[in-house]
Amino acid sequence: MTTLPPFRNEPVLELRRATERSKLAVGLGELRLPLKVPVWIGREQRFGDELVSTDPGRPERIVALAAAASAEEADAAVATAQAAFGRWAATPVHERAAALLRAAAWMRERRASLAALALRECAKPWPEADADVCEAIDFLEFYARGALELQDPDGSQLLQVPGERNELRYVPRGVCAVIAPWNFPLAIPTGMTAAALATGNTVVLKPAEQAPGCGMRIVEALRAGGVPAAAIALLPGGGETGAALARNPAVATIAFTGSGPVGLELLRSAAEVAPGARQLTRVVAEMGGKNCIVVDSDADLDEAIPAIVESAFHYAGQKCSAAARVLAHEALHDALVERLAGAVAGLQVGPADDFGTDVPPLIERDAQQRVQRYAAIAGESGEIVTGEHDVPGEGWYVAPVVAAGLPPDSRVLREEVFGPLLTVESVRDVDEAMDRIDGLPVALTGGLFSRNPRTVQRVIERSPVGNLYINRSTTGAMVGRQPFGGNRLSGTGTKAGGREYLLHFVEPRVVTENTVRHGLVV
Amino acid sequence: MVVGAATSLEPEIRRVGKALSEGFPSHRGNPLKVLDDRAMDLAAQDAELRAALFRFVDVVPACRSLDDLAAHLTSFLGEVHAQPPSLRAAMRIGDTKAGRAALGAAGAAGVRRMAHRFIVGEDPQAALPTLRRLWRDGIAASVDLLGEATVTAEEADRYAARCAQALDTLAAAYARMDEQPLLERDASGPLPRANLSVKVSALTPLLRPEAPERGQRDAAPRLRALLRQAKQLDAHLHIDMESLDTREAVLELVLDLLAEAEFADGPSAGVVLQAYLRDSPQTLDTILEWADRTPRALPLVVRLVKGAYWDHEVVEARQHGWSVPVFERKGDCDANFEALTARLLEARPLVRVAIASHNLRSVAHAIARNRLLDGEPRDVEFQVLRGLGDDLGRALAASGLRVRSYCPVGDLVAGMAYLVRRLLENTANESFLADQAHGVPLEQLLAPPETST
Ligand SMILES: Cc1cc2nc3c(=O)[nH]c(=O)nc-3n(C[C@H](O)[C@H](O)[C@H](O)COP(=O)(O)OP(=O)(O)OC[C@H]3O[C@@H](n4cnc5c(N)ncnc54)[C@H](O)[C@@H]3O)c2cc1C
Repeated sequence: MTTLPPFRNEPVLELRRATERSKLAVGLGELRLPLKVPVWIGREQRFGDELVSTDPGRPERIVALAAAASAEEADAAVATAQAAFGRWAATPVHERAAALLRAAAWMRERRASLAALALRECAKPWPEADADVCEAIDFLEFYARGALELQDPDGSQLLQVPGERNELRYVPRGVCAVIAPWNFPLAIPTGMTAAALATGNTVVLKPAEQAPGCGMRIVEALRAGGVPAAAIALLPGGGETGAALARNPAVATIAFTGSGPVGLELLRSAAEVAPGARQLTRVVAEMGGKNCIVVDSDADLDEAIPAIVESAFHYAGQKCSAAARVLAHEALHDALVERLAGAVAGLQVGPADDFGTDVPPLIERDAQQRVQRYAAIAGESGEIVTGEHDVPGEGWYVAPVVAAGLPPDSRVLREEVFGPLLTVESVRDVDEAMDRIDGLPVALTGGLFSRNPRTVQRVIERSPVGNLYINRSTTGAMVGRQPFGGNRLSGTGTKAGGREYLLHFVEPRVVTENTVRHGLVV
Repeated sequence: MVVGAATSLEPEIRRVGKALSEGFPSHRGNPLKVLDDRAMDLAAQDAELRAALFRFVDVVPACRSLDDLAAHLTSFLGEVHAQPPSLRAAMRIGDTKAGRAALGAAGAAGVRRMAHRFIVGEDPQAALPTLRRLWRDGIAASVDLLGEATVTAEEADRYAARCAQALDTLAAAYARMDEQPLLERDASGPLPRANLSVKVSALTPLLRPEAPERGQRDAAPRLRALLRQAKQLDAHLHIDMESLDTREAVLELVLDLLAEAEFADGPSAGVVLQAYLRDSPQTLDTILEWADRTPRALPLVVRLVKGAYWDHEVVEARQHGWSVPVFERKGDCDANFEALTARLLEARPLVRVAIASHNLRSVAHAIARNRLLDGEPRDVEFQVLRGLGDDLGRALAASGLRVRSYCPVGDLVAGMAYLVRRLLENTANESFLADQAHGVPLEQLLAPPETST
């Protein structure tokens, strides 16, 4: 068990080959909908249909019928997890890791059907749906190994002097509430859950209300892999369910990925120590951004344009890492706008199950309206440089939009739109671009296109973001390769898929033993 | 050169290869040697220096001023650890404004000089003197229009319009040239004089690896119009092959269009087979099956190459955890090239065959194999790249073989990506030209490929 092969990313399907594409189509054909998703605490299941997830491209198609957990159920879930904590924490780490690896294998055997579910429930186009499954598997594999390393006593970095034995150990914190988003409906909840479980915590998972079906699959995988039923609960529900869960004083850790307002609220409420509480609640939060790509005058637009398009419009811009603003050197601003507009004009807006789709529908009607609202503001105060676009009538589609010439104080340049809307600004030079970026309260991802090593160095030094990408797209962070997470108001500075991530789910304990008896070192 | 049936392949290959190499002009044994820019010599010796040089070449057209050029140059050179004295001097010059202007001008001139070895002119009109000279020397050409990447429909239209114009210019110009019997007819019939190579990635911004039909649908009208025009002008249209990401889209598109009834009697057209791809034998099956069921007045030309995107294919596969689609041992690639050469030559007259390589061994093998099969010299074409295969091309032409030079046309901005690729390819460790430049003995250069099995 301690001699696991080194971590390696689960390879995405080679979709440039027709044979691979047809495998996915088979997966979709075999998907039986709607799924029935219970509140699932221990071995107890309560089914219901208070929560309905639908296909964003065809809203009348029901993907999952889920029960919405009540506040009492949230408390019951926490109580069960609390009761299970002692045993799971005492389970040897290699057994916990083995359970996660078996869960990974379970997912690997079902890659096509899991991708098909993410495609239906969250309108993830095929390549992205497949990548989501792979990332979920990666998290299981990566954190399983990470937990083993954490428990390796040789890894303890403490100074040792004669007559004294110092040991640093990490122990789990208790019940972890995982509050997950829908935009990586398998990967992100699996990641947060796997981190908590690997380190010996028990978990109550509340999937996004838009993605209960994917959440259920994750719990199935973990239980099939051997995680005790009581150690992982499924708590489908909306905002109130999440709030009830987070409020419970027995929750030791909240792992959250989602919007800024919700994250800040969680941080605020966690800071209040409930009467009788015996532990400070720790919050691991990944929130939004306003991600900027800087394009210097020496950039190669042939490469920058496709990368910007991918960063801003793949999955309709619904990634926390997606690019929202381009800050272009004035020398090539106009050429960039023209070519970008032309490139965006060619994007195909369509259903997620069409391999040719570039921009799938948004997750829900609210999102569609929000993006339309911002596009309207952009049109009033600046210029929309993209033209009309063919958009399917049914479903939560919006056309991709590029806006230029916005006033510096425009809301569109500050607020997270979370959709296929990209703005372009002209800057005198890279330093002006960096000043503007420095003015933002958020700092998640950033991009730079420049061919001058000195410029690259300067931007690296000045950039506040958690993940900076140079001469490539700003999305698609890989577990173990690009540990992911933002700074400033974008998050708590934690890095999913990185080595240090697990430290947020444990408590360090140092034991110092005096080994001197009667002047003898024993 | 002695013509006649060969009894055994290897001795014949050595004989042909030796004869060809004797035909190389003695004062310039290797095209890399003649790069008057000493930078190339330096670059070949030091990986960091090579990287610095290529990054500089790559960024030249994007620099706004001589000052900017110099700033980039010193910035790249600053990353080189072992700086030869000449470079340290250059770095010092870059400290003053006047020095930077001089350095920038020198750098730009050097790059322009390099570019002119590989790029015959800014546009087809400007290329005509070179094309005429080649033709007079018994060498046909295929013109390739360099351009920025196509990311918009307008850019695709513009490229198609440039192609259309090039076809007109070339057809008119070649019509006025003298007869060159060897270049104008083979056993299958007439060979068009005017010849244009096009890239599907320039004809559509919509090539998506996971959705080949999108690019096909978008490129089809533009390519169809060019095929019609080529037919009308009696010109040849060759569709280049690019990275594996687009192979399915490109090959299906071309074969589907050529199968349309209106193209059964023309134009002459061709595709490219990349021998570095492990599954290239299956691709050849596809091509031959297509040719078998798609009768054409002028057979499809198959240009056999090794492949220009080797590093890209390896890196992409490694980054994604895919099995590497190209051979990873040079000898395996070369052996496959020879096996495909044999199959192609045997498949005639179903297809016409063009062997595109600067590797003396690969070329000599094709010549020897053709003799072994009792083929006429005119029934196989040899293709070389302008600037890299000039000597080989001339030597082949001098020995009575049919040669075509691939001539890129375009401005400096457009040409830079091409230039960098050529420079990279030919300073790579495993390249015939590099081996030749480093003085590997002829006997060894002509030895059979060392395969892994
Ligand atoms: C007229 C003409 C047209 C061309 N058109 C195209 C085209 O449409 N598409 C295209 O892709 N290329 C095209 N090429 C480019 C051609 O692929 C390269 O010039 C060619 O790869 C160089 O091969 P060579 O036989 O001249 O040299 P060699 O030195 O014998 O071969 C070098 C080649 O071997 C391969 N190689 C290098 N290292 C390894 C390794 N470790 N293992 C296995 N293989 C290795 C690579 O393909 C490399 O380019 C064309 C070339 C010519 C002359």
